[in-house]
Amino acid sequence: MKIVKLPKENLAKFVSSLSSFGQIHAPVKRGEKSLAFGPVSDFAQIQLNYTRTILPLKKYFFKPIDTMFNFSAEKGYELPMEEPEQRNVFFGVHPCDIHGLKILDLVFSGRYVDNYYFARRNNAAIIGLDCIPDEFCFCRSTGTDFVDSGFDLFLSDIDESYLVRVGTSLGDDMVKATESLFRDIEKQDREKYKGKSIEKRESFQIQIQLQDLPGIMDLEYDSPIWEELGQDCLSCGTCSMVCPTCYCYAVFDELDLDASSGRRMRRWDSCLFKDYALVAGGHNFRAERSSRVKNRFFHKQRGFVSQYGRPSCVGCGRCKAYCPAGIDIVEVINKLRSEIRV
Amino acid sequence: MGKPKVGIYGLTGCAGDQLAILNCEDELLDIAGALDIKSFPMAMSGGDENCPLDIVFVDGAVVQPKDEELLKRLRERATLLVAIGTCAVWGGLPAMKSEIAREELKRKVYGRAGKIFDTTAPQHLSRFVKVDLSISGCPIEKEQLLQSVASLLHGDLPRLPNYAVCTECKMAEYPCVLLEKGQLCLGPITVAGCKARCPSYGQPCIGCRGPVEEANVSSEVRVLKEKGFTWFDIQNRLRTFAAPADCFEDKIFKEGANA
Ligand code: SF4
Ligand code: SF4
Ligand code: SF4
Ligand code: SF4
Repeated sequence: MKIVKLPKENLAKFVSSLSSFGQIHAPVKRGEKSLAFGPVSDFAQIQLNYTRTILPLKKYFFKPIDTMFNFSAEKGYELPMEEPEQRNVFFGVHPCDIHGLKILDLVFSGRYVDNYYFARRNNAAIIGLDCIPDEFCFCRSTGTDFVDSGFDLFLSDIDESYLVRVGTSLGDDMVKATESLFRDIEKQDREKYKGKSIEKRESFQIQIQLQDLPGIMDLEYDSPIWEELGQDCLSCGTCSMVCPTCYCYAVFDELDLDASSGRRMRRWDSCLFKDYALVAGGHNFRAERSSRVKNRFFHKQRGFVSQYGRPSCVGCGRCKAYCPAGIDIVEVINKLRSEIRV
Repeated sequence: MGKPKVGIYGLTGCAGDQLAILNCEDELLDIAGALDIKSFPMAMSGGDENCPLDIVFVDGAVVQPKDEELLKRLRERATLLVAIGTCAVWGGLPAMKSEIAREELKRKVYGRAGKIFDTTAPQHLSRFVKVDLSISGCPIEKEQLLQSVASLLHGDLPRLPNYAVCTECKMAEYPCVLLEKGQLCLGPITVAGCKARCPSYGQPCIGCRGPVEEANVSSEVRVLKEKGFTWFDIQNRLRTFAAPADCFEDKIFKEGANA
């Protein structure tokens, strides 16, 4: 992997140069305290020291609400208008969110390839940026605090400069387009980077043990914990909406007033919703809220492991940070494990 | 079906949901073209008050004996009865002080003039008749009305959201006013459909669309108390739009007061 160095004073110039590769999107302020990925025209808007955006990048590729096709009695089925072939350059993506995208890539490229997702995903350039964990982050425990692929460029802070790992030929083109901004790395940069790596590793406030959790979850299938969570959970859906790896959607039709044309739509769904497991005949195999909360944890930490060999949680802390009822994934896992040190 | 015969009526309320129909300015001609509107007392005179109807839309709550009579009569005339607006679906604003005896309220509000009419504790339509479809909202959302009409024309019931306002709030990536500003937001227990209008302006949801299915009111109350709200403020907000709803039964208020 090619690795170069970008002095911090050159960052603004470099980011501005990226607009020749597509529309730049980066973390910007949303309201008083929150952040969101959004289009930027001015480098000064970018919040370099952010911790998390409300929504992960999935909102760009797997949209909250999306038209799948239009239909009408005369014309039959028609795909929605193609979006203009424009590349989006996402600057400042943290390792957990890159891992989140890699998981969505895996899921949506399975037996039935999700072309809606890939049409947009394939046009995305990812420029990663490292970060300092806060009191909600536990990506070290999920093995997603560092990332070795899934980016075009990845920037790591080494005090006066960024160490820039080049992940793809597109990333290389980006560096080459502004070659004069970059420097070769030297011995002290290498040592700085390694020192920072240790520093980050040691800065986590939360550590949980995920190895052997699937087995423990099976043992705790009937734990009273699920009942307790069912009492607190509001079924508000927030945790699924903000999770980088929740990918369920519901399909429905919107009709026009002529009652013979309309659109087939999909929108984000959540296994916490009462009607998620409602099937024909009025049967609901997860009618109890406790069984729905349990399902969310089981799918992330148990079912996904069986299917894909790893949990789908990337430790971003969003579900904990944004749950109105204060349901805390770390606490739940520690309780299931009967961990004393919390 | 051919053009369905339709009636649009109001019981006691502000008639805002009937107005919301008239406010569909761009689609009004299409609506009038698709439906055979037999009677719409608020908007037209000379309606047919006796013919059978395929669909009747009713807004307002049952607050007077004559509301109940009209409602029952409409139910007999119509194949499908659609409750429109939070008053019709949940009792709405008229029901916010239902814990106080009606006679006392009447005396306080109308004085002597109150003697000339009868009033009962405000209730939603489903307490009296079978309701086939409920479109809540204070007032109803135009998109939901149009979707519902289109589905009914197609012979289906529409699929309206039955998840909480929080879901739409997060889909649109609005900052959470409950967590960030500590505001008394009812988004977690209020049914979506407004695209989280109030949080979009940095304001808390005050529950104008009524409760979501299986609303977890006790947990919401616990959350709000932890944020430091008094029981007085919490119960006032809970009672504002949907006091007669089952999820706000007395038990909740007793629990909440003691917790
Ligand atoms: S489950 Fe929670 S912590 Fe894990 S990836 Fe999803 S939102 Fe992040
Ligand atoms: S965010 Fe919290 S309250 Fe809302 S559905 Fe998820 S666990 Fe339940
Ligand atoms: S602002 Fe209100 S509606 Fe939005 S997520 Fe927070 S509690 Fe839910
Ligand atoms: S956010 Fe709440 S109060 Fe505001 S319009 Fe929606 S349901 Fe009504």
